[in-house]
Amino acid sequence: MYLKMSGAALIILAAYLFGLNLSLMYYNRVRLLEELLMALEMFLTEVNYGLTPLPQAFLSIAKKINRPVGSLFFDAARLMQQNRGLSACECWRAALRKNTRELDMPQKNMDLLDRLGSIWGRGDKSGQQRQIVLIQELLRQALGEAQVEHQKNNKICKYLGLLGGMTLVIFLL
Amino acid sequence: MKRVHNPGNIIKKQICQFLAPRVRSIIESLPQDLLSKTEEIRLRHSRPLIIYWAGGESYLGKRGPVASVKEAYMVSGEDLERTLELISSYSLYACEEEMRGGYLTIPGGHRVGLGGRFVVESGSIKTLRNVSSLNFRVARQIKGAGEKVLPFLIDRHVGRIYHTLVISPPLGGKTTLLRDLARLISNGVGILGQGGQKVGIVDERSEIAGCYQGVPQLDVGIRTDVLDACPKAEGIMIMLRSLSPQVIITDEIGREEDIRALEDAVHVGVSVIASAHGSTLEEICRRPVLGLMLENNYFERLVFLSNSRGPGTLEMIVEGERGLPLYSARSIRE
Repeated sequence: MYLKMSGAALIILAAYLFGLNLSLMYYNRVRLLEELLMALEMFLTEVNYGLTPLPQAFLSIAKKINRPVGSLFFDAARLMQQNRGLSACECWRAALRKNTRELDMPQKNMDLLDRLGSIWGRGDKSGQQRQIVLIQELLRQALGEAQVEHQKNNKICKYLGLLGGMTLVIFLL
Repeated sequence: MKRVHNPGNIIKKQICQFLAPRVRSIIESLPQDLLSKTEEIRLRHSRPLIIYWAGGESYLGKRGPVASVKEAYMVSGEDLERTLELISSYSLYACEEEMRGGYLTIPGGHRVGLGGRFVVESGSIKTLRNVSSLNFRVARQIKGAGEKVLPFLIDRHVGRIYHTLVISPPLGGKTTLLRDLARLISNGVGILGQGGQKVGIVDERSEIAGCYQGVPQLDVGIRTDVLDACPKAEGIMIMLRSLSPQVIITDEIGREEDIRALEDAVHVGVSVIASAHGSTLEEICRRPVLGLMLENNYFERLVFLSNSRGPGTLEMIVEGERGLPLYSARSIRE
């Protein structure tokens, strides 16, 4: 009996953790989009007030933003500084490929990040600002959607995990 | 005189990294002797890749110099775009001011001239779009270029530098001479009979000190302050107010406001070394503002350079007030 009880508890715990993990995925998407928005805001500050060159601006952002968004900027900056003749777009996309798994975002958001590649360093100051502000706007929309999804799915995932575990235990017993 | 580094290596180490990969591989494959004398690398949209040296040029094909335009590598728009990205450090927004002046400076003090469509707003240049040609000018410091001239520019009684105007036609070596004079005066040489003097360079076109992000890339001496990309007249006033130089060096004077600022410097006892385009004294005298300065004997020494035996040939040094020749290459040759 004691063995059955502990087995059942383990099954319920595992199912709950699975649900929790799913809900964390939604939370992480929200967090990543918030950090991306923050990184772009930092970039705009570097452009507006410091006219900081792109690689240095990226390194400065990488120092202040957590992984994986920070790593994305760091890897792109490192590639730019290696003098391999790569374009900003190529550096950004290579960094994006390297961090795709950790970023774990829906394709729609990944496309937005990919689009950033063709924007970096292009045009004069006002042109650069306009393009970044536009991407920020799209990211804000994506953040809104991610927040709604998170709120909707957060409790469902946790409860479904817990209830699923309990159902399985009932069946097994 | 000695050149600082092997110029061929300068191109490979300092310039190639800013070229689009296809152009880079062509330049890197050139023989060392050709690279050593290369002064300019020209990239023009849909036209052949060309390198220039004193008195010559060469079309470049995928495997090195070629005899005809047909065999030459044609520079593409993508090459230009990529090169522009690399020289601006992926940050065109940070180079707007320089681009308005038609050039960018890269580490090593090399200047890249830009050609394309200028956007003009309310009569002044706003920015440059659609860059269609790039000209890499290799900056070469020739240490010792000023050693022959400097003894004529010093008042040995008080150790003061005379107000000097360096005159030469384009590519005559004015900037190279100014740079070396700055280095010699700043570091101090035995001939000065004392340590170095504080030198202020107002480098409106980033040519003398070859600054990259404000830091001189060429040796202009240990007691030298540089105002990079700063308009001459304003720069001279800033120098006088805040950096207390003993000698101010600037190039290509000619506008009325430049002259007024130089007059201020002369009146407060700061020595001025400046340069102007021209071949003869008569030519300079005909220019309204410079002519007036010469008439009023602002300059105590006039140094004439030419290209007659290569850039930087010292032709003559004249005492400003009485026009007495202190040095003449012609009399030495004769």
